[in-house]
Amino acid sequence: MITITPVMLGQVIVSGLLAGALYAMVALGLGLIFGVMRVLNVAHGPLLMLGAYVTYWLFSTVGLNPYLSLLVSMPVVFLLGVALQHFLVRRVVDAPELSSLLLTFGISIALVNFAQLAFTSDLRSVEFITGSFLIGPFAFSKARVIACLFAAGITALAFLFLQRTRLGKAIRAVSQSREVAQVCGINVQRIHMLAFGMASALAAAGGTLVAVMVAIQPEMGAVYTFKSFLVIVLGGAGNYPGALLGGLLLGLVEQLASLFLTTQVNEAVAYVLLVIVLLLRPTGLLGGRST
Amino acid sequence: MTRESLTLALRYLTAALGAAAVLALAPPATAQAPLKIGASISLTGTYAKLGSYQKEGYELCAQEANDKGGVLGRKVEFVIYDDQSTPATGVRLYEKLITEDKVEAVMGPYSSPISEAVANVTEKYKKVMVAPLASTTSIFKKGRKYAFMVISPAEVYLEGLVDMAAKRGLKTIAIVNEDTLFTKTSAIGTAEMAKKRGLQVVFQEAYPKGNTDFSALLTKIKAVNPDVIAAATYFDDAVAITRQMKELNINPKMFAVTVGGDLPEFYDLLKQNAEYIYGATQWEHTLPYPGQKEFFAAYKSKFNREPVYHSAAGYAGCVIYLEAVKRAASLDADKVRETLLKMEIKTAFGEYKVDADGFQLAHKMVMLQWQDGKKVTVWPDELANGKPRYPMPPWNQR
Repeated sequence: MITITPVMLGQVIVSGLLAGALYAMVALGLGLIFGVMRVLNVAHGPLLMLGAYVTYWLFSTVGLNPYLSLLVSMPVVFLLGVALQHFLVRRVVDAPELSSLLLTFGISIALVNFAQLAFTSDLRSVEFITGSFLIGPFAFSKARVIACLFAAGITALAFLFLQRTRLGKAIRAVSQSREVAQVCGINVQRIHMLAFGMASALAAAGGTLVAVMVAIQPEMGAVYTFKSFLVIVLGGAGNYPGALLGGLLLGLVEQLASLFLTTQVNEAVAYVLLVIVLLLRPTGLLGGRST
Repeated sequence: MTRESLTLALRYLTAALGAAAVLALAPPATAQAPLKIGASISLTGTYAKLGSYQKEGYELCAQEANDKGGVLGRKVEFVIYDDQSTPATGVRLYEKLITEDKVEAVMGPYSSPISEAVANVTEKYKKVMVAPLASTTSIFKKGRKYAFMVISPAEVYLEGLVDMAAKRGLKTIAIVNEDTLFTKTSAIGTAEMAKKRGLQVVFQEAYPKGNTDFSALLTKIKAVNPDVIAAATYFDDAVAITRQMKELNINPKMFAVTVGGDLPEFYDLLKQNAEYIYGATQWEHTLPYPGQKEFFAAYKSKFNREPVYHSAAGYAGCVIYLEAVKRAASLDADKVRETLLKMEIKTAFGEYKVDADGFQLAHKMVMLQWQDGKKVTVWPDELANGKPRYPMPPWNQR
C-alpha cells in the first residue's frame, strides 16, 4: 500500500482544480441551454470536438498558435450553434423532452460522422506545449494551467455578460419565465439563438483548450457531454454559478477518488456523489429552478 | 424516391440477389472447380480498417498460391462477407458459408470476440479454422479441436520489456492498464512474467476506458519510484500517459506501452517526447523473416500501401493453412488438423508452432524503441537491428 503524503495530496488537488475549471466552463454552456429552453443538448460534446478540430486544422495548416485559434473556433462554432437553433432545435423547444433528446442525439451523430468524413478517424494532436512549471514540490502542467486560466477568464466574461449587459439580463429573464419575458418585449427566439450560440462557443473553447492535451478524434466529445451533465445536475440545473461549483467539485472528486481508491472507480465515485447530492438536495447544491 | 419506386427497386434487388445465389450454388462444371475458402471479415463498423488489411492479406496469399499452380491442383478462391464488426453477424455468415455456399474450407475473421463466436460454428461442422487475428488465449483453451492460433497472445506483449529489465538487474516495476479485456490480460501476463524473473511489482492499477487525466495515478507511481513502468494501453491513453509523465517529471529507467507505441502516429503526436519509449508489436516489415522482402514488395504493388501486421498475419494464416493442406494432400479436417498440430514453419510473419490445443507457442512479439524518430527493433536479440538506449534520461535533462 502506498502512503499518501501531503505533497501527493497537494499535487492531486492542484490537478483536480485545473481539470475542474475546464469542466465548469464547458458545463456552463450545457447549463445555459437547459436553463433557457429546457433542452438537454446531447450534441454539446461533439460541438467541443469541432472546436478541437478547428484548432488542429489551423495549427497544422498555417501553424496558428492554438490559444489564438480561440478567436476562430469560438465564433465559428457560435455561428454553427445559432444555425442549429434556428433550423432545428427551435422546433422542439416546447415539445416533450424526448423530442429534444432525440433531435440533439441525431445532431451529435451527424457531427461525429461529419468529422469522420472531413478529418478521418485517425488520431490527431496539437503538439504545442508540454512539460510543467515546477513550484516547490508541485508540478503544474503548462497546458493545463493555461487551459485553466483561459477557462476561468472566459467563464468570468460569460458571467459578466449574463449579469451586467441588457442581452445577458434578457437571457436570464427568459430562463426565469419565458412568457413574462415575452410580455416585456424580449424577442425570445433571438435570445434562444444567442443562448445556443454562446453555449456552443463555450464548448468550442473547451475543445480548443483540450486539443493541446489529449488526442483529437471524432468520438472525443461524448465523455464531455456526460461530465457536463453531471456538473449541471450537481450544481443545480439552470443555476449558472452552480455549474462553476459543480465543475470544480467534479474535478476534485475524480482526482481524489483516483488517489485514495483507484482510477478505475473515479467515475463511479462521481456518480455516487451525484446520487447523494440528489437525495439530500434534489435541486442540486445551489438549487436549480423547478420545472 | 416514392414508396412505390422504392418497393420496385427492392424487388429488383431481391431478384438479382436470388439469381446470384443460384449461380453461386450451381454444381461445379469440372472436377477442377476452384477451392473455395469462406471467411467473414469486418469491412464496416469499428474494425473496418483493420479487417480490410486482413482481407488484403488473404487475397495476396490466394493470388500467390494460384500463380504457383494452386493447391491440390485447384485454384484458390476466397468467398468473403462483411460481418459488420459484430460477432452475431459473423456466426450467421459462417453458418451460411458452410451450409448454403458449401465452401470446403474456412479462414478466421478479424478480432478475438468474433473469432470466439464463430469458432462454435466451425467446430460444429468440423471445419479447420486458422484464426490469424485472434489473440485471446481462452479461445484456444476450451477443448476446441479445429481452431488454430497464429499471433502471440496478449499475455506476452511485454515479454521483451521484462526480459531486458531482468537482464539489467532492475528490481521494481509498476504496471497500469486500461480496464478492458486485451489490456487487462496483457497487464496480468506482464505481472506474472515480472514475478518469475525476480522483479517486484510495486504498483498495479487499472483505469477506465476513455480516461484522459492520469495525474493522480501517476502521482502514486511517482511516490513508489519504480525502475520500470509498463502500460497496457491502446493509443490515446499511451499518448496521454506519456505527456503527463513528462509533466509530473516521472523518470523510470524503462517505459513501455503495448499498443500505440508501434504506430507512426505515436511519434507524429509526441515528437521528441516519444524518444526512449518502448512499444510492442506482432510484426514489422523490417524483421529478417523468410519471404519478407517479397511479401512487402508484392503487397505494396498490389494494394498501393505498406502492409501492417494485420495484413501480414492474414497473409501468413492463409499460407500456413494452404501449406498444411498440401502436406496432408487432403482437405479432410482431421488430416489437416493433424498436420497443423505437428507442423513447424517460418513465414513472412515469423514462426508458427502450436501446442496440442492449437495455441501459438513459437511466434515472437518484438520490442521496438523510438530512437531519433525511428522505430528500432531492440528485442529479441536474434531479430534486433539496434541496441536499446538505456536508461531513459530524466525529462528535465533532455
